[in-house]
Amino acid sequence: MTIVTHVLATTLGVQAMELHGSEVALAYAFGIGVDVDHAVKAPFYLKAIGLRDKRGYYWRSSLQEPVALLWILPLCVFLHTLVPLVFFAIHVAMDYSVSFEKMPLYPYSPWVTRGWLLNIPDKVKEVVLAIVLVALNALLFFARR
Amino acid sequence: MSWLSFAASAGAAVVLATGRVVPALIVMAAGQVLDGLDGGIARVYGLGTPAGARLDTALDRASETLIFLAAGWAGLAPWRIIVLALAAIYLMTSIAERSGLDPGVKRFALYFGLRFPYPLIFTVIFAVNLAAYAIGLLVIDCKFQITMDRLGGDLDTVASRAVALEVRETRKGAR
Repeated sequence: MTIVTHVLATTLGVQAMELHGSEVALAYAFGIGVDVDHAVKAPFYLKAIGLRDKRGYYWRSSLQEPVALLWILPLCVFLHTLVPLVFFAIHVAMDYSVSFEKMPLYPYSPWVTRGWLLNIPDKVKEVVLAIVLVALNALLFFARR
Repeated sequence: MSWLSFAASAGAAVVLATGRVVPALIVMAAGQVLDGLDGGIARVYGLGTPAGARLDTALDRASETLIFLAAGWAGLAPWRIIVLALAAIYLMTSIAERSGLDPGVKRFALYFGLRFPYPLIFTVIFAVNLAAYAIGLLVIDCKFQITMDRLGGDLDTVASRAVALEVRETRKGAR
């Protein structure tokens, strides 16, 4: 999913769970910030592709895969909060609805999967989700005022 | 030698469980010296084998488990942080060979307990090893990215091709 839907989903979650202070930071870090692996992969992109715009480069890393739960869960126990787990799970669930290949358990398993809802075009899923998220965000925002 | 070192660590754990920190650290130090000698002898005389390295790692983890649990038994730190520290160490170890990342903050950190409180020491052990694990995963991802870039291809198909190549190369290496 694109950054837009991730931002909308995370903001909705923050509003719905009425998070404050450091928990808001954790929500955005694990709901959106895990996409920072794009910055980690940028040097590889520049080396392999250069400055051209190549759609479909493999920007993903374990930061955005279910395998990251192995370190996120202990972190949640340490911080006494489920916020990282919840928002990371939302991020992963959204990404797994997009049909490109993913490796959920790498490096422990070479299993490759495309995710779920594969019979619906990605663009349709993105647009529908964006509309729903905008609507829910607005509803919650005005309901709370 | 590995087993002698483990026996020393087990002895250190028994002493630590009774709350006698300084004598326990002395026995633990003896165990770590034996562990270091073990690796050194293997390297100098070319006696190192993959099985020996795996045994060494397994006994190191077993030593840490006994010593950390003993610290919990003695009430030096809350059980929660001790279990978390052990979990972080196990996670880091599970990929250390592939990532090449091992910060070495395990038993050695316990010597600083003479100066700092043990709950803080175990928190540092947890944080450093968990960070090493997360970063180690990224390091492995970057190594895999090199394989994917060599294959070219797009997001839609490159992962399964690269993984198939990696599995083939691993099997070839094992034979």
